[in-house]
Amino acid sequence: MSDHLTTDRTDPTTAFDCPSCGTSSAGGPRDHCPQCLHTRHRDSADPCGAPMAPLAVAVHGPGDWRLIHRCTACATLTSAPVRADDHQVALMALAVRPLAQPPFPLGLLGRI
Amino acid sequence: MPRRHRARQEPRTGRRAQRPKDVLHGPRGHRGDAFRCLGCRRDVPVRALGTAHRNHCPYCLTSRHVDGRAPGDRGEECRAPMDALTLAVRDDGEWLLIHRCRACGTLKANRPAGDDHPLALIRLALRPLADPGLAHLTGVVPGT
Repeated sequence: MSDHLTTDRTDPTTAFDCPSCGTSSAGGPRDHCPQCLHTRHRDSADPCGAPMAPLAVAVHGPGDWRLIHRCTACATLTSAPVRADDHQVALMALAVRPLAQPPFPLGLLGRI
Repeated sequence: MPRRHRARQEPRTGRRAQRPKDVLHGPRGHRGDAFRCLGCRRDVPVRALGTAHRNHCPYCLTSRHVDGRAPGDRGEECRAPMDALTLAVRDDGEWLLIHRCRACGTLKANRPAGDDHPLALIRLALRPLADPGLAHLTGVVPGT
């Protein structure tokens, strides 16, 4: 709590203003909003500055969860590591989304 | 134009022998109806159910970095293998395969084809749940 009070929320290197939900987050340089996991298109070859929506959770290596973002303007995909203070329910909701909406009946997998 | 030479006859059947194929359909003489998967080395036919641009192997889901911005434009010169990284879900409920280039790290979203192996897709969908990354990150280690 003291960390939140002592950190300057106007400093662009430590604060993050979410382009989607408007939450202002402090606590060191961060790539995405810890609440809704949205970010802004800044770090790629052709940054356009538009909001980026979280698309999926990827595992690059053992223990390395990463968020895949898609730009709402130019559809570029980027990835960023998740942080310990990201909303865990939002992360899990992204991770189980393919299994919650399978394109084929999962009950038929036993016949393969 | 009439043939200058009589076609060679098969001595046993008396019919004309089958000519060797001399029309080349693909680059470097490839017949153009299949490609060799860079991941599992299987021969994959180009035609696929549910998509006009087969861009990954239906068995191991490995792709190749050949397309630029539009699907099928072949505007990319990297040509390195792309590994299937994860699955995403579109707003209409359709799955999307996310591929990552092994050489340059570019991410691409592709539609799964109708004959993609369901177990390979499910294995990919289960990968975040099987990995203890989030538990380690948040300090909740399973089994302790």
